[in-house]
Amino acid sequence: MTTRAEKGEQRYVLNMGPQHPSTHGVLRVILEMEGEYVMDPQPVLGYGHRMHEKMAECRSWPNFLPNAARMDYLAALIYNHGYVGVVERLAGIEATPRAEYIRVITSELNRLQSHLLWLGVLVLDLGAFTPIMYTFEDREKILDILEDVTGSRLTYCYMRVGGVVRDIDDKFVERTREYIKWQRSRMPMYDKLVTGNIIFRKRIEQIGEFSPDMARRYGLTGPVLRGTGIPYDIRRAEPYSVYPEFDFEIPTETSGDCMAAYLVRVREIEQSLRILEQALDKLPDGPFMAKVPKKLKLPAGDACYTVESPRGELVYHLIGDGSDTPYRMKIRVPSFSNLSLLPELCSGMLLSDLCACMGSLDLVIPEIDR
Amino acid sequence: MESKDSVIAAFKKIPVTVEEVQFAQRGYHLEITLEAGQLRAFAELLRTGNFYLSFVSGLHLATGIEVSYQFANYGFPCRLLANVGVDADNSVPTIADIFQGANWHERETKDFYGVIFRDHPNLKPLLLAEDMEDLKPLLKKEKTLKDRAGISRTEPEAQPTPAVKEDA
Amino acid sequence: MSAVMNTGFLPPELLRIIFAVVCAIVIVFGNAVVMGYLERKLAGRFQRRPGPMEVGFHGILQLAVDGVKLVGKQLIVPKQTDKVLYRLAPIISFAPAIMPLVVIPFSPKLQGRDFDVGLIFILAVVAINVLAILIAGWSSNNKYSLLGAMRSVAQNVAYEIPMLLTLLSVILVTGTFSLRGIVEAQSGGAWFIFLMPVAFLIFFAATLAETNRAPFDLPEAESELTAGFMTEFSGMGFSLFFMAEYTYMFIACSLTVILFLGGWSGPPLPYGEYTSALWFFAKVYALLLTMIWIRWTFPRVRFDQLLNFCWKYLVPFSLVHLLVTAVVLKL
Repeated sequence: MTTRAEKGEQRYVLNMGPQHPSTHGVLRVILEMEGEYVMDPQPVLGYGHRMHEKMAECRSWPNFLPNAARMDYLAALIYNHGYVGVVERLAGIEATPRAEYIRVITSELNRLQSHLLWLGVLVLDLGAFTPIMYTFEDREKILDILEDVTGSRLTYCYMRVGGVVRDIDDKFVERTREYIKWQRSRMPMYDKLVTGNIIFRKRIEQIGEFSPDMARRYGLTGPVLRGTGIPYDIRRAEPYSVYPEFDFEIPTETSGDCMAAYLVRVREIEQSLRILEQALDKLPDGPFMAKVPKKLKLPAGDACYTVESPRGELVYHLIGDGSDTPYRMKIRVPSFSNLSLLPELCSGMLLSDLCACMGSLDLVIPEIDR
Repeated sequence: MESKDSVIAAFKKIPVTVEEVQFAQRGYHLEITLEAGQLRAFAELLRTGNFYLSFVSGLHLATGIEVSYQFANYGFPCRLLANVGVDADNSVPTIADIFQGANWHERETKDFYGVIFRDHPNLKPLLLAEDMEDLKPLLKKEKTLKDRAGISRTEPEAQPTPAVKEDA
Repeated sequence: MSAVMNTGFLPPELLRIIFAVVCAIVIVFGNAVVMGYLERKLAGRFQRRPGPMEVGFHGILQLAVDGVKLVGKQLIVPKQTDKVLYRLAPIISFAPAIMPLVVIPFSPKLQGRDFDVGLIFILAVVAINVLAILIAGWSSNNKYSLLGAMRSVAQNVAYEIPMLLTLLSVILVTGTFSLRGIVEAQSGGAWFIFLMPVAFLIFFAATLAETNRAPFDLPEAESELTAGFMTEFSGMGFSLFFMAEYTYMFIACSLTVILFLGGWSGPPLPYGEYTSALWFFAKVYALLLTMIWIRWTFPRVRFDQLLNFCWKYLVPFSLVHLLVTAVVLKL
């Protein structure tokens, strides 16, 4: 049960500063505390602000791709996908079928890696030092597979307008299949070690409950939203790439608390493995890159491309004016809206519960700050 | 509201200019142009219709600054983009009391463009530092400004060209 | 008699005590080194990594090198702290840790001094640690430290009660507070853990909370309060707290072994009167390894849940246990 405080006692201000083990990135939260209760948490953003949207207006289309990867380093391939998707949509170019499948395979591997890191870090915030080592071991396998084909471990620049930069080979397919088997064999262990642990459950259950209406007013998306019962996933609602060809479920829970978000993400790991299997089975042959003119001049007009990142809905809104550089690039990041829930949700909570809530929101601060 | 058509019918009552666009080409379903005065009624209508606010953004054109709002629906696919021109004093009414998520989006738009949102509870800089309020980084210089026509599609909307030539 | 003392001969009893104190200090440092190494190696193994491997064979010299580093660090005293209290806090934490070791019977012949109220003496001395933590948190002039210190005080005070109540159950059976007496009452294999397993579990949980070990390590909650009450201490101050914590763990486990696991009793060894200390240490280290195991497995209990657990579960259970023991003894 979340214990809430009564008004009236003396307040002091505690600064959960930009450097803190629990804020995942450089986030500062100013906490007005009454004893152990947090009265009015106010996040202060901007410590990692690099003004990517301005950089987009100053760079040509290909040059922005590394920027896209650095906004959310844990979902870099998904950000890649969104960016090349919006450029392709505006230019009227279609990627090859094989490239689309490769994009989905690498995006799902990216999603898995992000969820595994989130799982370890959430439990670390609650005080268990061991599960993070296990999830990082699983994650290393993914990073090794992706490193072979993309060349990077974290901030990938693998996709291009029209396809991907390098083809995947049989070794990649084989290693991914082995990885799927390995990950499936590890999930029961996580169930016992983490989900079934009574101390963990008491820290997470019934903490930070919110209703679907509150989620809608703040524009929440992603696993946090699906924890309140709304089965909204961009891969189903506005299908993009080759997702319509796969059979997967959208896990939802109804309680709307931290435990619900946790369970949704753990089940999404299994669903991602399903998508991976199907994509590997259906992988078509053919070219991995379409014929795209060397100097791509994009027409005037605007386009939107929405993808499902591990944290929620990611929207690229691109306005071109017929020249080399975009006129305006708006990037809507999921953690921005997810974090704006914090002041209303966490007023009157214990400090330990605030840490649990922030962990279950799965924030990546560089993407909020852009 | 249950479907896109009932949404369009409700909008036409306000009245706002609604244009249905091709999703495969644009990535959203409806493009709407509004006056600043109609904004709050529009937002209230969306609130009752189970829409959520995706983002609030700005756009600096030769004719002035425009604020764009993108909403989407959890229940059926209906993503809409609404463009609002700012008033003469560079301000627009806030919708932060209708959609609390707009609170931070509007602060960010003020940071980047200098647009004031009237009656906003806390319009302090969000991403920029407190002493950088005058910076307004996304405002463009004179010579790079275009007007609406300069950023709109010229040829009629067509299907995207397939990447691989289909063999018979 | 006074003539003898004037000529400089020290009475043998005093010599014995001094020798015992020196041994106690050696045990403190030795324990800190061994436990520090064990903790890091075991943490590594639980987390599927090797742990310290660089320094010495499989990292055996790691703690020695760490000690050198900590001693060589600059002692930074932050500006706004209460200077006297800030410097006193680590000392108040560490010094009382040595005293109980003089009273603990390691084997029939190896005990510094046996008090009639040895048990109460140990409990009284260990309670000074709470004061030290509070002084540390207050003098640091840091809100995080203060929060950590307040949590620690509340936690320690709360968990003293089930600890004392279960102790009382054991004392009812043995009839004496003297530690040697308690061990001798269990001779012949009739360890109290078989007689009173519930008391053993409650006592062990209470000692976990008293020594601020996970899952009750909120006062040093790394991910919430940076380092809790130890945030502002560096170098030697930090290492004194560190060693004090390990020593209190050792004392707590020794108490558990004396009260419930039969102290030094075990299969007979040559020179039994001295070497049965080996059984004592074996049992103590088995319990210490269990404490380390628990730390690296479980997440942290939230503060109000921790106090709830104490007041609503441990205290009633230990009271009932005391009642049952008294009734059974009477019959």
